[in-house]
Amino acid sequence: MAFLEISGVTKLFGQGAGAAVDDFSLSIERGEFISFLGPSGCGKTTTLRVVAGFEQPTSGSVHINGVDVSSVAANRRNIGMVFQSYALFPNMTVAENVGFGLRVAAQPATVVQARVAEMLELIRLPDYGRRYPHQLSGGQQQRVALARALAVQPQLLLLDEPLSALDAKIRVELRAEIRRIQQELKLTTIYVTHDQEEALSLSDRIVVMNVGRIEQVGTPFEIYNYPRTAFTASFVGHLNLLPVQVTDAATGACMFEGTPLASSQAAPANQNGTARLAIRPEELVLSGAGGNRLTGRVLSVNFLGNVVRLRVRVGAVELSVDLFNERKLVLPAVDAQVELSFPAHACWLME
Amino acid sequence: MSQSRFNPWTWLWITIGTLYFFVPLYGTFDFSLRMKRGQISFLAYEKVFADPKFLQSFRYSATMGVITVIVSIMLFVPTTYWIHLKLPRLRPVVELLTLLPFIIPVIVLVFGLIRTFSRPPFRMTQTEFTTDILITAGYVILSMPFMFRAVDVGMRAIDVRTLTEAAQSLGAGWLRILLSVILPNLRVAILSGSLITFATVVGELILADFLVRPALGPYMVVVGGGKAYEPAALGILSFGLTWICLGIIQLVSRGDVRLQPIGR
Repeated sequence: MAFLEISGVTKLFGQGAGAAVDDFSLSIERGEFISFLGPSGCGKTTTLRVVAGFEQPTSGSVHINGVDVSSVAANRRNIGMVFQSYALFPNMTVAENVGFGLRVAAQPATVVQARVAEMLELIRLPDYGRRYPHQLSGGQQQRVALARALAVQPQLLLLDEPLSALDAKIRVELRAEIRRIQQELKLTTIYVTHDQEEALSLSDRIVVMNVGRIEQVGTPFEIYNYPRTAFTASFVGHLNLLPVQVTDAATGACMFEGTPLASSQAAPANQNGTARLAIRPEELVLSGAGGNRLTGRVLSVNFLGNVVRLRVRVGAVELSVDLFNERKLVLPAVDAQVELSFPAHACWLME
Repeated sequence: MSQSRFNPWTWLWITIGTLYFFVPLYGTFDFSLRMKRGQISFLAYEKVFADPKFLQSFRYSATMGVITVIVSIMLFVPTTYWIHLKLPRLRPVVELLTLLPFIIPVIVLVFGLIRTFSRPPFRMTQTEFTTDILITAGYVILSMPFMFRAVDVGMRAIDVRTLTEAAQSLGAGWLRILLSVILPNLRVAILSGSLITFATVVGELILADFLVRPALGPYMVVVGGGKAYEPAALGILSFGLTWICLGIIQLVSRGDVRLQPIGR
């Protein structure tokens, strides 16, 4: 049995309402960093709260380290939790906040003091012990919240959109910090987010969720490159979709507005032979050789720094094309005719 | 705020308001100083303080005030906390309930209390002690709108739910959460509720009068019936007491803003 075993968890809020979480099952190994990724209302936070013990599942169970904790109160589960709103105790100093869990556990004062100092060192705020939360920036407050959750040496760390309230720059910084600390402590962690970049950059595995259900579980590489459902494909990263007529379902050959295109996978079963050909913007190249070819007109050119994003009209659809920036790059003009190409292995057919 | 700083109308209304408020007060104060014919003196105040009945009734009312405050805190902090945490939909109902003392006249309340509790099986008006229990219960009800509102506003200023969950995830039980997380962050709210409650109890007349307890309110009525200068002095004194209470609320809440902006 895995370290954390979530089995068939379903959560209904009231009669008649749809399930917030619908038959959620997942095994998490010790030391893994797992992200729950999905739009708001997809059930990711509810699932996290069930693991934390703040919500009782309507059915299903949660096992930690082989012990069924479904009926264990939240304050007896030994789970660290970090909230989007920091939730530091405003009446306590940073040191008192970090030491709170240890004082609750009736640890001797010297132990508390040493552990607090160690934690403040870990989050790189060693001199902030005497300050009050309102004297810190948002990023610093969230670090303290992290230290407070870690001080009691929890067997599991849960983070509920911890970076959503922070500026972009702090977010990236703190993201790296969270990953560093998690790896240092080899702590089993669940991270809830709606930000795909966070999930992709942090996780060992990502759980993509939609309307209470798991869409796909996999490594960031798998989730991005081999999405198994249309939802995963469109939620994680940009995706171009071409409506096509399938000409050979077995090989994945199809036709887009009179142009034959090849794809690598077999087409999903569909009665009238229509499907959508999916292709990531970065897989499209301008006037490359080989593979599939399409001709279109440039609608816009957006220079984003490391990437140049083009919008190109091909027949009835608009495609996004991402070019890696380089100094020799010649940008096409708006309204210019361009030829796009992509290899068969870069695209796949979806319903 | 700064745009209308020099608006003469503002000053006119402020002046009218101030006169309306202070002229009678000054009149009473001035009158209370003229007990000795032809000269200003504090004789009326000396007489008030010299009357053992005044000190007795003041002590009684102050004691009842403190007891009422303690009972109210013990009743309303956990109740309001629970409503915020678990039953937010019940909040409007409770808010309406706490407003009842404003709607139901005190005289109705006191007759209800007497009719219900002076009969068997309660017979609570037979001894002083049980009557005091009854009167405290009445005071708690009278101060309910102030206490509930103060605590309610204080709870809304902090994220009760998330703070509770954070404390829970760190292993804390309910009592611990209430005492070391919720209460300290409600200090100012509880203090202002307490002082208003205290002032209400000290100035209360009807409950004490009908339950025949030696409180300040009935004493003032008795004194007012037979004398001229002492009631004016008493009026100024009780006014001063209320002002001191309000002043402490102001002082503490302002000091707290500087220290901890979330504790409001």
